[in-house]
Amino acid sequence: MTISEPISEVDVEVTVNGQPQRHRVPARLLLSDYIRDTVGLTGTHLGCEHGYCGACTVIVDGDAVRSCLMLAAQVDGAEVRTVEDLAPAGADSLSPMQQAFHDNHALQCGFCTAGFLMTLESVDPTEWNEPERVVELLSGNLCRCTGYQNIVTAVTEAWSAYDGSGGSDDG
Amino acid sequence: MKPAPFDYCRPATVAEALEALGSSESSRVLAGGQSLIPAMNFRLTDVSVLVDINRVDGLASVDCDLGGVTVGAAATQTRVLEHEGAAGVVGGLRAALRHVGHLQIRNRGTVCGSLAHADPAAELPALAVASGAVIAVSGPDGERRIDAADFFIGPFWTALEDGELITEVHFPAQPPGSVTIVDEISRRAGDFAVAGLVATVQADGGAVRSARLVGFGLGGVPTRLETAEAAIEGWAADHPADTLAEAVMADTADAFDDIHATSWYRREAVAALTVRAARQALADAEAA
Ligand SMILES: Cc1cc2nc3c(=O)[nH]c(=O)nc-3n(C[C@H](O)[C@H](O)[C@H](O)COP(=O)(O)OP(=O)(O)OC[C@H]3O[C@@H](n4cnc5c(N)ncnc54)[C@H](O)[C@@H]3O)c2cc1C
Ligand code: FES
Ligand code: FES
Repeated sequence: MTISEPISEVDVEVTVNGQPQRHRVPARLLLSDYIRDTVGLTGTHLGCEHGYCGACTVIVDGDAVRSCLMLAAQVDGAEVRTVEDLAPAGADSLSPMQQAFHDNHALQCGFCTAGFLMTLESVDPTEWNEPERVVELLSGNLCRCTGYQNIVTAVTEAWSAYDGSGGSDDG
Repeated sequence: MKPAPFDYCRPATVAEALEALGSSESSRVLAGGQSLIPAMNFRLTDVSVLVDINRVDGLASVDCDLGGVTVGAAATQTRVLEHEGAAGVVGGLRAALRHVGHLQIRNRGTVCGSLAHADPAAELPALAVASGAVIAVSGPDGERRIDAADFFIGPFWTALEDGELITEVHFPAQPPGSVTIVDEISRRAGDFAVAGLVATVQADGGAVRSARLVGFGLGGVPTRLETAEAAIEGWAADHPADTLAEAVMADTADAFDDIHATSWYRREAVAALTVRAARQALADAEAA
C-alpha cells in the first residue's frame, strides 16, 4: 500500500514465519525491534545497529537483509523469515545447516549464529558452494568467537551434496 | 541506537514524492537505507519527513540497450549485478558492484542512492565519472540532467538542491574494444576502500590506445587522473611501470591522510592499481 501524506504511525500487515501479523507501529520503529519486541521473536540479535555485524540478518521476500537498516513500516505486504523458522515447529530436530553448525562447533557464544544461518538460508547453494564463494558470502557476518574456520567447515559439510558450479546433484 | 521520531510516507508517484519532500526543510529520500538509516540510528542525520521511494511507480527498472544502461532510483544493487545485459553495457557496473558492501547490503542499497550519498570512498561515483554517466533529477522546478563530472562537489555533497530527487541514472555503453576494471585496497572484502581505481581502457596490438582513469578514496570527490591518462597512451607491458606510477603520483598530490592510511600510501596504492589495470587490460585484449 502506498501512503501519500507523511504520518507518524503506520499500519503494517506482514507475514512473519508464515504467521500473519497486523500492528500499528511508530514510523521510526526498526524492523529488528519490531521482530524482537512487537512480534516477540528474540532469536534475531542486535550487535551494532548500523549495518556492520550482520547479527540481525533476516529474510525479506527471499532476500537476506539487515533488519536494523529497515523500518518495520517498509515490510508492509512482505514475507519475513527469522531463525525461528528454520527448524520445523514442534520437532526436536534442527535444520541440516543448524545440525552442521552444532556438529562442527561453528558457534561458541552463539550471538552471531542466527545472522549466519539466515544469510546461508537465503541463497541457492548451487550458486555459492565453492570455497572462495562461501568465504565471500560469509564476509557480511561478523563472529568474534570462532575464527570462522568451523563455520566454513559446517557450511561445506551441509552443502556437500551440491556442486557449486551452477547445477546441483540432488537439488 | 534508534532513529529519533519522524513522519513517514510511501508515495506512489514522483509528483507525490516531490510534494512530500517539499513539505519540510529536513525531509529526506529513503532509497535502500543502507547509508541513511545507519546515520539516523546514530542521530547524525536529523529527519522530520522520510519519503520512501521504493514503491514509486516505474522507479525500479533497469533498462539496457546498445547505447547503455538506465538504472531507476529504486533498483537495488543486486538487481543490477544480476542483470543479464551485455558486458559492454553493464560490465562496468558489475565490476564496481562486486566491491560494494556485502550481499545483504546490495540486496537493499540502490545505485542512485550511492550517487546521492557521494561517499568519497565509494565505487559508483567514480564509475559514473569515468563512464560519463548522466543523472536525471526531478524537483519543484521540473526536470534536469546533470553530467556526473558536474554532480560531485565535495564529500557527501552533490549538485542536488533541496527538494530534488534522482529518478534515474544513465551509464553509456563502453567504447567498443574497451574494458572497465575496478580495483581497490580495502581492509576486508566488502568494506569501503582505503583507495581505489576505475579504469576504462582501450587496448589492441599489445599497447594501450587510450584510457579513462578515475581514483576514489583520494579526495572529497572522484579524482580524474589526467596526467596518467596521457602517460598510458601507447603503454605496453614491456614499458617501465615507473612512467605510469609517477604520472599517478603527480595527479594525486592532494590525497588525504586519515586513521586508515597516509596520503602517500593512498597515492602509491592507486599508482600500483593503475599499473595492474593496464597490464590486465593488455592481457584481456590479447585473449579476446
Ligand atoms: C556494512 C556496509 C558496507 C558498505 N560498503 C560499501 C562499499 O564498499 N562501497 C559503497 O559504495 N557503499 C557501501 N555501503 C553503502 C551502500 O552502498 C549504500 O547502499 C549506498 O551508499 C546508499 O544507497 P541507498 O540506496 O542505501 O541510499 P539511502 O541510504 O537510502 O540514502 C543515502 C542518501 O542519499 C539520499 N538519496 C537516496 N536516493 C536518492 C534519490 N533517488 N534522490 C535523492 N536523494 C537520494 C538519501 O536521502 C540519503 O541522504 C555500505 C553500507 C553498509 C551498511
Ligand atoms: S545489528 Fe544489524 S548489522 Fe549489526
Ligand atoms: S559465536 Fe560468538 S560471535 Fe560468533
